[in-house]
Amino acid sequence: MHIPDGYLSPQTYLPLYAAFAGFMAAALRKMKKTLSAKNIPYLGMASAFSFLIMMFNVPIPGGTTGHAVGAGIVALILGPWTALIAVSVALIIQALLFGDGGITAIGANCVNMAVVMPFVSVWVFKLFRGKAPGGWRVYTAAFLSGYAGLAAAAVTTAVEFGIQPLIASSNGRPLYAPYGLEIALPVMALEHLLLFCVIEGLVTMLVLRYFLKNDPGSVYAMPRQSSAQAPRQSSAQAKEVK
Amino acid sequence: MTFIDTSITKIAEIVKTNYVQWETARKNGLFQKLDPRLKAVFMLGCVAVISVKKELPAELAISGFIFILILLSRLNLIRIYKRILFFGFFFGFLIALPSALNVITQGDIIFRVAALSRPYHFWIYTIPAEIGITREGCYGVGILSLRVVNSVSVVLLILNTTHFFELVRSFKILRIPDTFLMIIILTYKYVFILSKTIEDIYLAMKSRLVGSIRNSEIREIVSGRIFYVFKLSRMRYEETYKAMLARGFTGEISLNAGRGFAGRDIVAGIALAGVLIIIIIL
Repeated sequence: MHIPDGYLSPQTYLPLYAAFAGFMAAALRKMKKTLSAKNIPYLGMASAFSFLIMMFNVPIPGGTTGHAVGAGIVALILGPWTALIAVSVALIIQALLFGDGGITAIGANCVNMAVVMPFVSVWVFKLFRGKAPGGWRVYTAAFLSGYAGLAAAAVTTAVEFGIQPLIASSNGRPLYAPYGLEIALPVMALEHLLLFCVIEGLVTMLVLRYFLKNDPGSVYAMPRQSSAQAPRQSSAQAKEVK
Repeated sequence: MTFIDTSITKIAEIVKTNYVQWETARKNGLFQKLDPRLKAVFMLGCVAVISVKKELPAELAISGFIFILILLSRLNLIRIYKRILFFGFFFGFLIALPSALNVITQGDIIFRVAALSRPYHFWIYTIPAEIGITREGCYGVGILSLRVVNSVSVVLLILNTTHFFELVRSFKILRIPDTFLMIIILTYKYVFILSKTIEDIYLAMKSRLVGSIRNSEIREIVSGRIFYVFKLSRMRYEETYKAMLARGFTGEISLNAGRGFAGRDIVAGIALAGVLIIIIIL
């Protein structure tokens, strides 16, 4: 999912940088309004959490292991705007520190995984959960939110790859990502729909179930309980605007 | 227990990378002596040039230029090029390799792979009667692999010669808000602290789990650990916020812009910009 340098043409990565900057500015403004002076350490914590979720490998059928991107579960727990900042910071650190994802592709990677994924996950969760307070419907909604969030991010990434031969080639020579939409889209969609999205959905569901069992007040995507019922809810969480 | 070993390896890699970069950033090399702001601007300028160049000789010239800079910065060539070539091979060459075939990139076939009795058409896809590697395809694979190699090289050069906090702070020159830079710095610190905690969690888990264990149980354990990390990071955040308040934090963030550029930085800046301009003209 992390696009490296060299795959996107400037006519793709520059507008995506601009789009990401716009989303980030909106998110920071929103957080500043709701969290005041607490926003810096709170967002640092949220970013570290979203970075570290990727460190947890889970066994998957076939004898191998995989990890979730985590943007879906972070959005369900902390809210989509917090997730936008948190996942972006995690992606920037990954690019700067480990070379995971390119410098020119930071805007694209953040749009795919920090904008598309958290918002799609929260919308899908709300859509499928309805008004259910708990139980299988909530868990199914959690699975689908992780699944759909990653699928949407993968399709967006595939489109970014797939348009490169159309907008940047010279005399039939591909200058950037060489695969057109007819290849990039089905390949990315298939591998994600059949494997990676299932892992993402599974992790989202299991982690949310754990949170709902042990600390339901800290989950953004669930209706707030009365203060007597949710004594452990943090003030920062309470201030996050739905 | 593959999942435990994989996780431990991954976390150990974070801690190791941090330590190695701290060490190499203190060496007495060319890039270590330069102002971080100059290095940040050079890094961004260089990756931009790498991304716009469309000719193999230009990309090869950039590879040579970065190699010289790595050499002058006294970095461990084997360690750094092992990483560069790993990225170049997996994220450049291997992914792009199928595009060398005429099924994807049309052109002059230079190596025949297979011959079919007739071309096959399926929906929007066409498989030609003669399948082979094209000159145009090879060119595309080459340029994409070199772009990945060059971009990773320049990023690793900067990372191994600059302390991470200084690098992030230097992005102030690009008018990135201080609030955002502060969040990145704080996140880095949290990640470093919590990585060690997670490593301990996994080591404890490894010592407790003996024999076979069902995958569903492992997933349950991992979910519990993620919850624990969330609680721990929230606790750290509350503590950090209290500590910041105790030191007079009012919510206003202003990072120190740093000293002015030294004569050495100006000379190096002109030289680096000159080389990049020559490469653009190439």
